[in-house]
Amino acid sequence: MKKLIVIALLIPLALMLVNCGGGKPKAKMVDIPEWYLNPPMAEDAIYEAGDAAKQSMGLAKEAADARARDAIARAIEVKVSSMLKNFMQESGIGEDAEALEFTSSVSKQVANTVLRGCRITKREMKTEGATYHAYSLAEYNLNSLIQETLNEAKKQRALYNEAKANLSFEDLEKEIEKLEAVGQ
Amino acid sequence: MKVRPPTVFLLFIFICGANSQTVIPEWFEELPDSPAGSCYSVGYSGKYQNQCLAREVAISRALSNMAKQHHVRLIFEIEEFADGRFRLLNPSFELSYDESALLNVIENYTLVDSSITNEGYYILIAFPSIERHLQFPSNDKTWGERPKWTKALPNSRRYIYGVGIISNYSSWVMAWKDADEYARFDLGKNIEIEAESIHAFKRDNKFIIESKILRQSYDMTLHGSAIVSRWYDNTNDIYYSLCRMQKLASP
Repeated sequence: MKKLIVIALLIPLALMLVNCGGGKPKAKMVDIPEWYLNPPMAEDAIYEAGDAAKQSMGLAKEAADARARDAIARAIEVKVSSMLKNFMQESGIGEDAEALEFTSSVSKQVANTVLRGCRITKREMKTEGATYHAYSLAEYNLNSLIQETLNEAKKQRALYNEAKANLSFEDLEKEIEKLEAVGQ
Repeated sequence: MKVRPPTVFLLFIFICGANSQTVIPEWFEELPDSPAGSCYSVGYSGKYQNQCLAREVAISRALSNMAKQHHVRLIFEIEEFADGRFRLLNPSFELSYDESALLNVIENYTLVDSSITNEGYYILIAFPSIERHLQFPSNDKTWGERPKWTKALPNSRRYIYGVGIISNYSSWVMAWKDADEYARFDLGKNIEIEAESIHAFKRDNKFIIESKILRQSYDMTLHGSAIVSRWYDNTNDIYYSLCRMQKLASP
């Protein structure tokens, strides 16, 4: 009788121990697409990958696509900032405060606006237990980026010049007010 | 009345078979090139007892697909919020087309070909009307080998493409309807999409917590977007649709 009780207690305990060790199934390295681990590189395009694991295939696909595009947008921010800094240095403007702010402003604006022609060129869908794991590769042609940067820089230059002109006028107004105060 | 297990099993197999799609007309898998000045569109319906009703439903679907092909407004938005503890994802899709476009198609289309299989009724129409004497090879077939576009988007100077992928649908009719629409939305994303995101990293002694808010959206009208290819993965029950549009026509 005692043996039966011990066995009756041991069996559920053994089952609990077996199940406690489990967690979400992990992707096997063999299943991960090579282009996800090592996205292609090109002189005239940016490639970024995204992935998502969801119980719905549609959601997994949408999330993976969105993350790949988001990675493109962030890569653009870095690239544009670098392009503009190089341009500033080569133009002899250097790193004065207005120039740096101008660079930062334009970079962020371009990265967070519209991606034209950013395509999801490759997709893989794998199953991991009850979930779908989607992998997406996004491609963005740099010719589009260069044109967008130039357009944005032209817009910002107009604002920059206007701001400079306004500052000079405001300074003049302050000087006039000081003179009027002295005169009174 | 006792229901025996073998009977239940056979009934289960019958139901599964009734909702699958094994034989299709050639032009359902690959839309053929249409004569100059006109476009083709496909309609389909499931298995009906009344064949006339099945035909009506298939024609109705072909007409609405043709109207969407000519002029459709797509509004897409996806938001993702993640703060290291949980993750929320919220995509939304909105599709609309003008009733006048549909009426225009209804008044001036030609029924080019039709096919009846065990699983459903298929219709191919042309708009604007074409001469009916054109011979059309409408061989029914099973699904071919996996096409390359299911893994990699076709690269073309002339066309833009989008792919729709769905799975786990009990009805193949609803599956293709949704796969076709997702393919259109995917095409829109490949044309133009507004992307915004904020990423923040919080560091303490032991952990790094990444938080992000991501938002992407577009609102555009497509002209001339056609579903040109379909493929069904029988092994994994996945439906693939390929949507195509000429680059000159993009917004």
